[in-house]
Amino acid sequence: MKAPWKVVHLELSKGIPKLPLEPNYEGLYVVFWWHSIPLGYQEILAAQLPMPATQLATLVLQTITPAVGSHLLAIGFKGDLPVVSVNPSGDMNPDFHDLTALEQPLDSLQKRWSQPAEGSVSVVVCTRNRPEQLARCLRSLQNLSQPPHEILVVDNAPSSDATRQLVAQIPEIKYVLEPRPGLSVARNTGIRHSTGDCIAFTDDDVLVHPDWITRLEQGFQDARVMAVTGLMLPAELETEAQLIFQRGSGGPGWGYRALTFDTQFFEQMKHRGVPVWRIGAGANMAFRRQAFDLVGYFDERLGAGAAGCSEDSELWYRVLAEGWLCRYEPTSVVFHYHRSNLNSLKHQMYQYMRGHVVALLVQFARYKHWGNLRRLFVALPRYYSRWFLFGLFKGFKYFNRTLLAEVLGCFSGVKFYLQSNGKNQ
Amino acid sequence: MPYIITEIEVTQPLPTLLLSESDTGIALIVRRKDKPIGFLMQALPAKSAIAPEELAQLITKEVGFKLLQESLRDELFPPTNQLPPSLTVAICTKDRTENLARCLKSLLKLQKPNSEGSPRFEILVVDNAPSDEQTKALVTSLQNVYYVQEPKPGLDFARNRALKEARGELLAFLDDDVVVDRNWLDGLMEARTENLDAAAFTGLVLPYELVTEAQILFEQGGGFRRGFDKIRYGQILPGNPLHPCGAGIFGAGCNMAFRREILLKLGGFDEALDTGAPLPGGGDLDIFYRVIRAGYPLVYEPQYLVFHQHRREKEKLRRQYWSWGLGFMAFVVKSYQSDPPQRSQLRRIVLWWFKNQLRQLQERLRGRHPLPVPMLLSELWGGIVGLLGEYPRSLKRIEQIQRQIS
Repeated sequence: MKAPWKVVHLELSKGIPKLPLEPNYEGLYVVFWWHSIPLGYQEILAAQLPMPATQLATLVLQTITPAVGSHLLAIGFKGDLPVVSVNPSGDMNPDFHDLTALEQPLDSLQKRWSQPAEGSVSVVVCTRNRPEQLARCLRSLQNLSQPPHEILVVDNAPSSDATRQLVAQIPEIKYVLEPRPGLSVARNTGIRHSTGDCIAFTDDDVLVHPDWITRLEQGFQDARVMAVTGLMLPAELETEAQLIFQRGSGGPGWGYRALTFDTQFFEQMKHRGVPVWRIGAGANMAFRRQAFDLVGYFDERLGAGAAGCSEDSELWYRVLAEGWLCRYEPTSVVFHYHRSNLNSLKHQMYQYMRGHVVALLVQFARYKHWGNLRRLFVALPRYYSRWFLFGLFKGFKYFNRTLLAEVLGCFSGVKFYLQSNGKNQ
Repeated sequence: MPYIITEIEVTQPLPTLLLSESDTGIALIVRRKDKPIGFLMQALPAKSAIAPEELAQLITKEVGFKLLQESLRDELFPPTNQLPPSLTVAICTKDRTENLARCLKSLLKLQKPNSEGSPRFEILVVDNAPSDEQTKALVTSLQNVYYVQEPKPGLDFARNRALKEARGELLAFLDDDVVVDRNWLDGLMEARTENLDAAAFTGLVLPYELVTEAQILFEQGGGFRRGFDKIRYGQILPGNPLHPCGAGIFGAGCNMAFRREILLKLGGFDEALDTGAPLPGGGDLDIFYRVIRAGYPLVYEPQYLVFHQHRREKEKLRRQYWSWGLGFMAFVVKSYQSDPPQRSQLRRIVLWWFKNQLRQLQERLRGRHPLPVPMLLSELWGGIVGLLGEYPRSLKRIEQIQRQIS
């Protein structure tokens, strides 16, 4: 599939338009919203355009029904958890009477989500030498519909004063310097400097939706929920690399239905490596402050600047292993600028896999859950050799371009873990 | 033997369904606020009863999604009223006066909902090379139904005659073995209002009765059903590289409508298809294909619903499968000649069709396909015959008919 694709946001409460011709794009990535609640997306090929409103209407209805059902009904329409099971959502038929009693479902949806959240949230943005991107991110944070308790920028081992100067211009944002490099280090510093009941993290390469914080907070209704994640939408899909990231194995795509990850999920998947990386993305997550006391802080061996990434998922692993819950709340949205060139995408995939492998080893070392090793030594090699053979026979398509980087990342991860262990001893 | 067909309105309290001694199952036509939203069949032991709770389970399992979707539709897209276009409904018939009478009865109810007021559409009966006067007698006894005779035998001769005689902006065709649903007209008009640029409309076809094994088999095999979602077929269909060369996905000829002016522009129906024996099919495939190839959208509308009386005898059903294979391939051969840019697509669809037939046979042998082997073989054989020169043969035959009659 070729780039560029145009990302279009359609607010359904404003009516359904006709989609015009887009001669400069391969297609449209259309996200459907109802009063700022995202309900689904569709990819529409340029050849299908112009699309009359009535045809789009049919598409809208087919797309948003599962999300609306999942939000409004206690049973039915639930999204699938990443578990290997005949019924991955553990769901049942919706109740007939609940279903037929739903009049004006969108209206009730809006009412349900329009209640303000209570409590105090600290927002932590960790950044390193990217003041332009950070400025864009901070502007979006100033537009939040409910102002957070505080916003902290953690400047991680900067090589210049640019970030400090940028933050100094914005009175309501606090600046914290962390000279030791590493995303986990910076996040932990952010936690120690914050005072809110919950701490929400985002990255400097995203824009946040005005309701981002409110919706994350609403995810904490259940007292057992220690971590909440949200939906990460592409801010743009202008280059091939961005498209690969969006679609590829590393691409974010957790859907538009809320998910609760619990002990049952953990136990079901423990024997083959719990897919905690499917819980969300570090650019859109929050924790109860209490969580850090219960399960600890971010592992400083992981994360950008150290092993690579997976500092987020490894913390979720501990949350679940200790019997608490993680919640994916897709109504909480950030827009991520994916890497726009192929080389930095390859580098990123290398980092991802490196971090992933280290996280598996860290998780195994902590809990002796053998599934982590099974994933590392059985599932991943099998996955990559299949991928390689498939490419060999079917012709290398774009998604194979990151294959080598990912495999090298895996090896490098094992090496990193052994070395860091050596240092500790 | 029979499956009882029951209509369920989900906004009303659900009934308890009772099967009699001879019943072997139920078929439910599920409606929400009178709109058809689902159809489901279930084999059940004779004399069993289904309590409302069980029924509710069954309905939410099969059409829960659709129920919510329709509720969303009401909220997002309140219906708009537009002046309906003028409509001619043409029924082509031959020596089946009883069927025709039943069809007309259902149609007349829609034509004049109350005894006052002018008729909402024109009804035209095309009597195709009749062997007696019965049909003529029936039609002339009815008010507001026009009668014409088409002496050249062949369904597409009759359809083209209707095209010549009709005056409506829209021209709808019905077979004489259907009965229209009470929302049939509103469904067609809704589809038309929503798609002013479309040139062809097809609708849902549900079973009129399920009293014999042949009828139940046919419906279990999918029947004429094309689902309960509106579909607009344009120039491309994502996920289907063979589009618009399709084998009957667009709808069925027993319930279709066109903008008359466009149908005239396209030259009407191909009289060498749908000739009755020995080539009784393919005419609908051909016209749908040509509409789309001419650049017009084709719209499928589930509320534009008829009930079709399927063949009761197994032998006739087998014959029908044979004619579908035959008609499809005749259509492909014809299009191969008339539409050179699509040749590679057409070659691919022939390949796909044979593969699909063999796959169905294989599934049957594994016990995972409802249709018995003779039916499947029949369709396959029909396809082979169709590929081997049936269309040119048919062209010769109709030339002869034309010479004889004129």
